[in-house]
Amino acid sequence: MPKDPLVINGTTLSSRFFLGTGRYPNPFVQNEAIQASEAEVLTFAIRRVNLEAPDDDAILQHVTHNNFQFLPNTSGAKTADEAVRIARLAKASGLSDWIKIEVSVNERTLMPDPIETLKATEILAEEGFTVLPYTSDDPVLAKRLEEAGAAAVMPGAAPIGTGLGVLNPYHLSLIIEEAEVPIIIDAGLGSAKDVTEVMELGADGVLMNTPVAKAKDPAQMAEAMKLAIDAGRKSYKAGRIPKKRYATASSTLDHTL
Amino acid sequence: MEEHVTVIGGGIIGLAAAYECRRRGFSVTIIEAGEFGGQASGAAAGMLAPFSEIEEDPDDFFRLAFESLTLYEPWVSAVQQSSNTSFEYANTGSLHVVYHEADQLALETRQKWQGDFGVDARILDQSALQKLEPELSSEIIGAMHYPEESHVYTPDYVKALASACANEGVTMYAKAGEPRLTRTTEPYEIKLNNGTVIETEQIIVANGAWAKSWEETLGIRIPVHPIRGQICSYQPDTPLLSHIVFSPQGYFVPKANGTLVNGASEDLAGFSTEVTEKGINRLKNWGPHVLPALEEEPPVHTWAGIRPATQDGYPLIGEVPNLPGVQLAVGHYRNGILLSPVTAAVLADRIEAKSDRVPMTLFQPARFT
Repeated sequence: MPKDPLVINGTTLSSRFFLGTGRYPNPFVQNEAIQASEAEVLTFAIRRVNLEAPDDDAILQHVTHNNFQFLPNTSGAKTADEAVRIARLAKASGLSDWIKIEVSVNERTLMPDPIETLKATEILAEEGFTVLPYTSDDPVLAKRLEEAGAAAVMPGAAPIGTGLGVLNPYHLSLIIEEAEVPIIIDAGLGSAKDVTEVMELGADGVLMNTPVAKAKDPAQMAEAMKLAIDAGRKSYKAGRIPKKRYATASSTLDHTL
Repeated sequence: MEEHVTVIGGGIIGLAAAYECRRRGFSVTIIEAGEFGGQASGAAAGMLAPFSEIEEDPDDFFRLAFESLTLYEPWVSAVQQSSNTSFEYANTGSLHVVYHEADQLALETRQKWQGDFGVDARILDQSALQKLEPELSSEIIGAMHYPEESHVYTPDYVKALASACANEGVTMYAKAGEPRLTRTTEPYEIKLNNGTVIETEQIIVANGAWAKSWEETLGIRIPVHPIRGQICSYQPDTPLLSHIVFSPQGYFVPKANGTLVNGASEDLAGFSTEVTEKGINRLKNWGPHVLPALEEEPPVHTWAGIRPATQDGYPLIGEVPNLPGVQLAVGHYRNGILLSPVTAAVLADRIEAKSDRVPMTLFQPARFT
C-alpha cells in the first residue's frame, strides 16, 4: 500500500500526476518525460489514436507495454452525444473504462461546455464508466458533476494550453472544500509554482500536458512537476502557519539568555 | 582572397548550405562521412507541408517553415539549372483527413490561427472530399485542404543538389569519415582521415543525427538523437491519389513515377536503418483505412532512414558561442527537405553579416547548454 495514496473509484494510485501524451517533439522525448514524471495515469485524445490496433498506434505503441491506467479523453466533442459516442468507442476497444469528458465549443478558448459536460457525465456514469469530467472552476457545477456520478472532478485552473496558472484560487478552494470525490486540477497550469499552489489548496492531483511536452527539456520539466506535486501535497498535509502582519523572532530572547 | 566555407555533412541541409554559399560567391568545401544524400534525406517522402505538419503552434518554427515553402519554387529552378537536371516538384496540394466528428473543432482552431498568417486552408466535408479524391475510404468524414502544399522526389532532389554543387565548383569529399577540427582559432583547420588539411574561416556543421559527436569540439550540449522512420511504397495499376494525404497514422504521397509513398514510423532504434516486419505491417494494416484499394496491394519497396530529433523539437541553427564563424545546422527531424532552402539562406545571410529574414532566436544552438 503506497503512503498517502489517491483512490479513484476503487483504483489506488501512488502518483498524483496525470500526464497527457500529446504534443511531444518525438517519441524519445515523450518516453523520457513519462518516465521522469512517474505518472501512472496517461491521457490521450480518442479521435487521434488507432483504437483498433493500439500496438500499431503512432503514440500508444510507445506506452502500451507498461502498466499505465489509460484515461482516454473526448477532446474535440462539441456535444454530450458526441462525447458519449467517442467514449463508447474507447471502452469497446478494451483499452480502458475510464473516460475524461471534454466538451468544448469555442475553438479559441476551448472552455468546457457546462451543460453538455453534465449531460455526458450522467449518461456515462450510468453506463458504468469511471468518469472524470473536465470542467470550468464553478463550485456549483463541480458539485453537480459529483452528484451525477463523476468519480473525480477536474476543474481547469485556466484554459487548456495557456500556462496562465491559477486564475481563481478562491473558486478552486471552494470546489476542493465541498468535494467528496477527488479533485484533479486539469489545464492551464504553467510551472512548478502553479502546481504547488493548487496542491497546497488541497487538490488531490494534477493533470497536465503542454507545460511538460512543450518545455525546452520535457523530461526535466516532468520531474520538476512531480516534485512540485509532492512538495505541495506535503505542505498541505503538514499545515502551513497562519500569515501575520509583523515579525516573530525564530529564536526568542529566553533561549539566548 | 575570398573567404572559405567548409560544410561538414553531405545530407540535404549540408548540400543546400554548400550550394547557397557557393552561389553567393564563397569558395566552398563539403565533407561527407559516407555518400552524399544523407541518412534521412534520400529516404524522405519529400513533403513540403508546413501547414499539415504544424497543427497547434503559431510560433517561430511555423514562420521558418512557411518562409521555406515560399522560397521553394525559385530554389528548385536554381538547383535544376545549376545541375542541368530536372526532378519532380509537384504542387499537388494536400489533404489532412479526419475520422471523427470531434476532429472538426481542431480543424476550425487550426484554420483560424493559420488564416491569420494568410494560409489558404479549406475545410471539406465528405462529399466535397470524395469529389477531389474518389478512392478515399468512406470512414473519412472530412479534411483540411491546403492547395499550396507540395512535394519533391527526394532521391532526385538530393542528387541534383550534389550535381549543382559540383557544377558550381564546390570541392566535394565523399566517404571522408569523421573530420577533426585541428586548429580552434581563426583561420580554422580541419583534417580529414586521408590526411587532407583544409584551412577555413567559416564552418557549417550539418551532420544531422550524428551531431552529438561534435559536442566536445564545439563546447555545447547538442541533444540530437536518431529516430528511425520506416516507409513503404505501392505501385497501383492506376493512380489512387492526386494530392498528398495526411492521416492520423501515416501519410501518402503520389509520385510522378506511379508509386505511392506511405510513411512513416517514429522508432527508437538507435542508428539502425533496418526495416522491420512490425514497422511495415503497421503501415500495411492502416493503409486500407485511407485507401481501401490498398487491401489487395502489397508494397513494392520498403526502406528506412534516420531523422535527427531534438529535445525541444526545434532545429539548432546558428553560431556556436566562442567560435566565431562556426555555425551549426542540425536537428531538422521530419522537416529537413522542407527547411533546406531557408536554412541555407539564413546560414549564408549570417556569413554575409546580413540580418535574419525570419526570427531565429528559438533555434540558437547554445540553448541547451
